Amino acid sequence: MARMMYRDAVVSTIAEEMERDPSVVMLGEDIVGGMGTPGGPEAIGGIWSTSTGLFGKFGADRVIDTPISESAIIGAAAGLALSGKRPIAELMFADFIGVSLDQIWNQLAKFRYMFGGKSRCPAVIRMAYGAGYNAAAQHSQSVHQILTGMPGLKVVMPSTPADVKGLLRTAIRDDDPVIFLEHKALYGMKGEVPDDPDFTIPYGHARLARAGQDVTIISSGLLLGFCEAVADKLAAEGIGCDVIDLRTTSPLDEETILDSVEVTGRVVVVDEAPPRCGLAGDICALIANKAFASLKAPPEAVTPPHTPIPFARELESAYLPSADKIEAAVRKTLSWR
Amino acid sequence: MADIRPFCMPKWGIEMTEGNIAEWMVKEGEAFTKGQTICLIETDKITNEVEAEYDAVARRILIGAGDEAHPVGALLAVFADAAATDAEIDAFIASFKPADTQVAAKRGDAAPAAAPEPVAAPAAAPAPTPKKIETNRPISPEALKLAEQHGVDLGPIEGSGRNGRITFQDVYQAIQPDARPTLKGPATVYDESDKIFASPLARRLAALHGIDLAGLTGTGARGRISKADVLAKVPAPAASAGPTPLGSPFVPVANSPQVVPFDKVRRIVAQRLGEAKREIPHFYLKVSVAADALLALRKTANLVLGVKASVNDYIVWASSKALARHPDVNVQVHGESVHRFAHADVAIAVASPKGLVTPIVRQADRMRIDQIAAETRRLIDKAQAGRLGFEDMDGGTFSVSNLGMMGIEEFSAIINPPQAAILAVGGVTRQAQEEDDGSISFASRIALTLSVDHRAIDGAAGASFLATLKGLIEDPETLFA
Repeated sequence: MARMMYRDAVVSTIAEEMERDPSVVMLGEDIVGGMGTPGGPEAIGGIWSTSTGLFGKFGADRVIDTPISESAIIGAAAGLALSGKRPIAELMFADFIGVSLDQIWNQLAKFRYMFGGKSRCPAVIRMAYGAGYNAAAQHSQSVHQILTGMPGLKVVMPSTPADVKGLLRTAIRDDDPVIFLEHKALYGMKGEVPDDPDFTIPYGHARLARAGQDVTIISSGLLLGFCEAVADKLAAEGIGCDVIDLRTTSPLDEETILDSVEVTGRVVVVDEAPPRCGLAGDICALIANKAFASLKAPPEAVTPPHTPIPFARELESAYLPSADKIEAAVRKTLSWR
Repeated sequence: MADIRPFCMPKWGIEMTEGNIAEWMVKEGEAFTKGQTICLIETDKITNEVEAEYDAVARRILIGAGDEAHPVGALLAVFADAAATDAEIDAFIASFKPADTQVAAKRGDAAPAAAPEPVAAPAAAPAPTPKKIETNRPISPEALKLAEQHGVDLGPIEGSGRNGRITFQDVYQAIQPDARPTLKGPATVYDESDKIFASPLARRLAALHGIDLAGLTGTGARGRISKADVLAKVPAPAASAGPTPLGSPFVPVANSPQVVPFDKVRRIVAQRLGEAKREIPHFYLKVSVAADALLALRKTANLVLGVKASVNDYIVWASSKALARHPDVNVQVHGESVHRFAHADVAIAVASPKGLVTPIVRQADRMRIDQIAAETRRLIDKAQAGRLGFEDMDGGTFSVSNLGMMGIEEFSAIINPPQAAILAVGGVTRQAQEEDDGSISFASRIALTLSVDHRAIDGAAGASFLATLKGLIEDPETLFA
């Protein structure tokens, strides 16, 4: 076990996989970090430091700085994937999927299906998402609910450095397109990471971060840590919370969710995306549909309001689900019957 | 309209389905006030007093005190004020349909909501008179109706609908008694570092029931071990878990057996060994051999040869050398004839996950100790993996069974036909012995028991073989000669 930061887990996993498999290439905006500046490559570093040292190690053929055109990045990744490479494309901000959505939605996600299974498209699209960075409405969004709704894509949202390692390695080795969402507020998080060079985490396999028998809390990404803190606080009062880290929203681990709700009968789904047509509502619907008889209280969803993300710090923290809001929702489910 | 209300069998807890009136504390026609005890009701668990929820007169008592149980919701009595006429009460009883939950009664439905046909005589409506609520807050019509029926104060209710609209659910929650959930508390998270693909609940159940997930095949999504896979392995109903509190009397629980049919290996073991013990006239020769020299030599030899030969490997080796010198013991029995062999094929008894198996070290007498060690290792690994084939187990001229590592000092084994002898090896024990000068010293000893088929081998032949074996073990250098 090595202790490392979330961002270092990203870099080291990419480096290990590039070492292992010469067909792995990386492309994105400013990933070389200083190309064209007086200091030269890597003089400045990428904005998230998620590609540090890769250019020096693997060179310009495998670490490709691109123009500022997300549709070009994803389009190039799609083409590379179709012609036998394993591209890892980086979008600096997940919010920019908008301009590359055709490449993701109509091309990447559909190739295998439309070519009757004859094509492979082993592309990984990494992107930094999430609020909490005071980056306003166009640079703070959580886009997983849009992408999870697109058949043909796998959507991954790791919440710990170890999960980054296991899930990113699975993504790179996967023969189908994977959307890999990294929460920008987690990049500095430290954690234990297994040393095993083949440590992978299969998709659709949620993690039980805390176990308890009274309430199920379902989350992923940054908010999982809030849920764990709430569970630990409530445990002192004798309230046991199952905290489920979804890890992947597509495929979704329905079994772990339903198993847990059958034990607890109370559920709080915590999600960073706005409430309408979103993941939290989707999971509440799943539970209402398949575990209705187990429920002791209506499923609670804790999400931001249906508004753009505000810029002001005070408003942004009011916008995001907080530990207090999660705790209030848990207590609300306990106030039933 | 007279205020007529039914008094029904209450539901105390989810498991209560019926109860009986132990005693009425009010008489028919008697008036009572709110809070007064009306009757005692017994269930199979408890007896409880029922208090009046309002002032009224017990106009009609339909079910007298007695042992007869009545279902939850059954009409027990009719309460009303003195103004109600007997005719109204009769009409009410005639039109009453039992509700099966308290909720229906609480919601004040004129008749149970589940009743398929329209409510009978409107005159008989038992509902409390709704109090009109005037409010300009947004509220759904059903919610308002419910609030009016129960006289709910809308003030403290926070509307959960759009723009604070009060929903039926909000009012329903407001009229419920305070929630007192029974908390079951936190539990342990089981780690996933073992690379086994199992759902969290499957892990929890496996830990709870002491089931090893390693052997399970998953039938869940993408081959994951699911709850059902683990539950399938849980032995029949485990009655009353948990320790009994101090001082409580011992209560026996159902102790029905878990029926495990013989699998293939067990069937063969049962059949062959049953036959062997019935058919073969066994006799047993016991000897204790000094083992210090062997233990010392093994250490050195393992170092020099760079192998990891066990004590048992040496005993297999010594047995095979002794067998080569005693071909009258190195035999198989087939019907009326004895087959003698020049070389010793020694079967070793191995406890595998599938049961007892006896793979064979062929021509062990011709091998070096490192070869024996390698061969036994190979066979044991194969046995543990359940991959031994027919060719690994067919034949054999002798068997060695060792339970020393399990702490067994000595035991007698059953001959494995068509072989005619088996050596049962006990563990190394330290024993006091008298030295030539009369002093006492301690030595390591191993107890050997030879089971012999008297049809083929006589006592003297067996004893002579055992003496050779003892000599080889006690003077182990001769093995290398």
